[in-house]
Amino acid sequence: MADLVLAKPRTDWVGIGFAFILTVVIVVPMLVVVIWSVSNVWRFPSVLPQEFGFKFWQMTLARSDVWSALTMSLSLSAVVTGLSALICLPAAYAFARMEFPARTLLFFSFLAGQAFPKFGLLVAIAAIFLQLNLIATFWGVVLIQLVGTLLFMIWIPVAAFQAVDRRMEEAARDAGAKPLRVFWSITLPQAAPTIGAAVLLSFVGTFYETEGAWLIGAPQIRTMPVLMISFINNQPVIQYAAVLSVLLWVPSLIALVFTRRVVNSGSFARGFGA
Amino acid sequence: MTARPVSGVQSSRGLTGLLLVAVPVLLFAWMTIWPILSGLARALTPEQADGSRPVSFANFVTFFSDPYSLANLGITLWTCLVTLGLLLAICIPLALYLRFAQGRLATYVQTMAMFPMFVPSIILAFAFIRVLGPNGTVDLLLNAVGLPKIRSPYLTPWGPVIGLVWDNIPLTVLILVSGLGAVSNQAVEAARDVGAKPLALFWHIILPRMWTSVAVVVSFTMLGLFASFTLPYVLGPASPEMMGPFMQRTFRDLRNPEMALTQATVTMLFCIAFGLFYVRAVARNRES
Amino acid sequence: MSNLSISNVSKLFSTTLAVDDFSLDVADGELVCLLGPSGSGKSTLLRMVGGFEIPSQGSIRIDGEEVVHLPPEERPTGMVFQSHALWTHMNVFNNLAFGLKLRRMPKAQIREKVEAVLELVGLGGYGTRAVTQLSGGQQQRVALARSLVLEPKILLLDEPFASLDQHLRERLREEVRDIQQRLKITTLFVTHGQDEALSMADRIVVMRDGKTEQIDRPDIVYREPQTPFVAGFIGTMNLIEGVVQNGVFSKAGYSTPVPVADGPATLAIRPEALELTVAGENAQGQVHRVTDYGTHGLVDLVLLDGTRIKAMVSHPDLFAAGQGVSLAPKAIAAYRDNVLIHRVALGKDTAALRQLVDA
Repeated sequence: MADLVLAKPRTDWVGIGFAFILTVVIVVPMLVVVIWSVSNVWRFPSVLPQEFGFKFWQMTLARSDVWSALTMSLSLSAVVTGLSALICLPAAYAFARMEFPARTLLFFSFLAGQAFPKFGLLVAIAAIFLQLNLIATFWGVVLIQLVGTLLFMIWIPVAAFQAVDRRMEEAARDAGAKPLRVFWSITLPQAAPTIGAAVLLSFVGTFYETEGAWLIGAPQIRTMPVLMISFINNQPVIQYAAVLSVLLWVPSLIALVFTRRVVNSGSFARGFGA
Repeated sequence: MTARPVSGVQSSRGLTGLLLVAVPVLLFAWMTIWPILSGLARALTPEQADGSRPVSFANFVTFFSDPYSLANLGITLWTCLVTLGLLLAICIPLALYLRFAQGRLATYVQTMAMFPMFVPSIILAFAFIRVLGPNGTVDLLLNAVGLPKIRSPYLTPWGPVIGLVWDNIPLTVLILVSGLGAVSNQAVEAARDVGAKPLALFWHIILPRMWTSVAVVVSFTMLGLFASFTLPYVLGPASPEMMGPFMQRTFRDLRNPEMALTQATVTMLFCIAFGLFYVRAVARNRES
Repeated sequence: MSNLSISNVSKLFSTTLAVDDFSLDVADGELVCLLGPSGSGKSTLLRMVGGFEIPSQGSIRIDGEEVVHLPPEERPTGMVFQSHALWTHMNVFNNLAFGLKLRRMPKAQIREKVEAVLELVGLGGYGTRAVTQLSGGQQQRVALARSLVLEPKILLLDEPFASLDQHLRERLREEVRDIQQRLKITTLFVTHGQDEALSMADRIVVMRDGKTEQIDRPDIVYREPQTPFVAGFIGTMNLIEGVVQNGVFSKAGYSTPVPVADGPATLAIRPEALELTVAGENAQGQVHRVTDYGTHGLVDLVLLDGTRIKAMVSHPDLFAAGQGVSLAPKAIAAYRDNVLIHRVALGKDTAALRQLVDA
């Protein structure tokens, strides 16, 4: 009996402390936003809203600028992710499986963008776009966001292709499949989960990309985050921004659910140089 | 013996590979390497009244003699240092806990620490204002128990600091925990076996293996903070402002791309050491 | 059915010669084992037959038809990989059906065929299982079935049991041998395990540094190794380096008649062919350790200069550490410059002679 008491693990006070502080600091702000989005009336100094309801959901969803921003964001993300996959996945396969001159140099050249503060780089690109009349155009924003996805969309799929066991591909050749068929039936399905995560992260990342869209696109190209900035800065009705926040969060939650495994794996942290 | 794949004629294969990577490589060169070089060139060759562009440091002289620009650079550096200090003070203990703790509570703490990664900074900015802004949740709660309101950090230099710390916690913890992976349990147990107390353990066994990841965190954070725009723009003071909003305003509102490029070049030069170190660390990790 | 003919094949990897002028004919229905240490070129050779490596020179013919320039998908070979290389995103059925679908076989026929082959490897009814749910032995059986279902003319096995534990390995190699003999399929088998080669092969090719050391039936490879390398690689062998003078081989106080020309020589004696007798005065060696295995005993002894020698004895209790012994080999072979120069298999004749003397 005495042994049992002794064997009982010590209370993890440090863990409880961390859990408590993180919960307060991280969950509470998000909760406040959600509460704001479902409060019809919330005047100071009441600790909770005087009246709950979905009045402002209806009003926000009835606004044409919200819908046009949502359409703009979704089409931008879709175009950027599609183009990125189209040019990056074949390149990733080549980096992973083929021998060609300057392969290593070109592979690591994509890191060069990481050596500079991103906003400084954006300003430099914007100066060039200014001469090319790409400022405030759809394709200008597409280009700038496309560049932002390159590193991610090449490096993660390269790792995915490299992880495919070559013997599997050889076994398929042995069974009578031509190289293209091997890629389609064996290599791609094997690499698919990781590539899917990269594509999803690229879509979500583009959806939330704010700086490039703001610098290059505004005021003509108005994405959800850009609209959100103007709501925060200029909109006296707090609930609009609150509803928009919750709406804006949906893609992130989807990403959270589907990419958690990739993010929690050590290779993800190593990708950041850890 | 390493088995190499069967292939067609090797030289044609090399060409195929080059063709496959050509589009992203060229796009990257055009949109990254070229703007940096041309931006530097334009900042170094200010346009004169007669349209000619002789090489001169006039733009940089203007920048470094303008008290407002210097104040902006100063506030950016101050924000970087304070944010970095707070990040390390919060994340090193957190990472140590996550490295050595086990069980459901540790999983919960890890989930919480990773959560901000999935909160876009613009939502964070809004949440910040609703919680810490005037008449925000903190004020409501203080008022409810009869205490005076806080002096809100919203629109002060502390606004971006708090937001940036919150935003950077997940990656910092990830990098530090990954670095702590280099400290084996056996090494720790062996040290305890010879009688090392927790503090000695941290100082002599753990800290020496953390330096690399701390250095990576420092470079990564410095680059990120110098490049930050959204949080300083929404949460920070209008004057002096951090380099991100300052560049944006010079470029868009003042319509002076040449001066904006000068400011961009200055930020890049301030970060070059961190940038090179960071890129080297990433490349080395990738190669191994 | 099918025969395989490899002639004068070499493979150069940048500067290293992995396979050096190798020739081999495998007859219809024969199982030939390529046996050698890692780096001996046996896997490279197998991969060249499968079409995964292109020989630097030489020719590979299947049923008289040159295949060197055919890619793997056009060769009538079926390969079973060491890591089984099953396609984890397909279930067992689809792994087997993949090649048949490529050949545009009607669905009903595919179903029938796959089920029959699964039955053959003892996995009837496993078609819908995910391959990741199978045990290591079952996965290797699926890999074998995947090759067999395409009815290859030549079956290639690349150390297929290396990742399995000893017990399973022994069972599987019997099964594979049974299936191979039932289907009478011409098979090339790569292994670095001598017991695997000895128990399965019709013929063994012992390889070293890309070259053939010996090609023979397993019993002959074991009893009459042609080179000291083969002698040392297969089974346990005492290799004693010494000098022959006037027809007598001698090494540190031990000598035995070997009728060859004077010069250095390596003497090879199997432990089971070495008889020991306890000796007092003129002992040739000293017992170092005696190990009793129940069915037999193993005596470790040292010659006067410290050379270690093993001898198998039927009554280990007759010997004890520190005892002096004299050696009487029943069969010896002598090598010089990597070539067999003398062999005495004293076999039955000596036994008969000894009986006479004793009587």
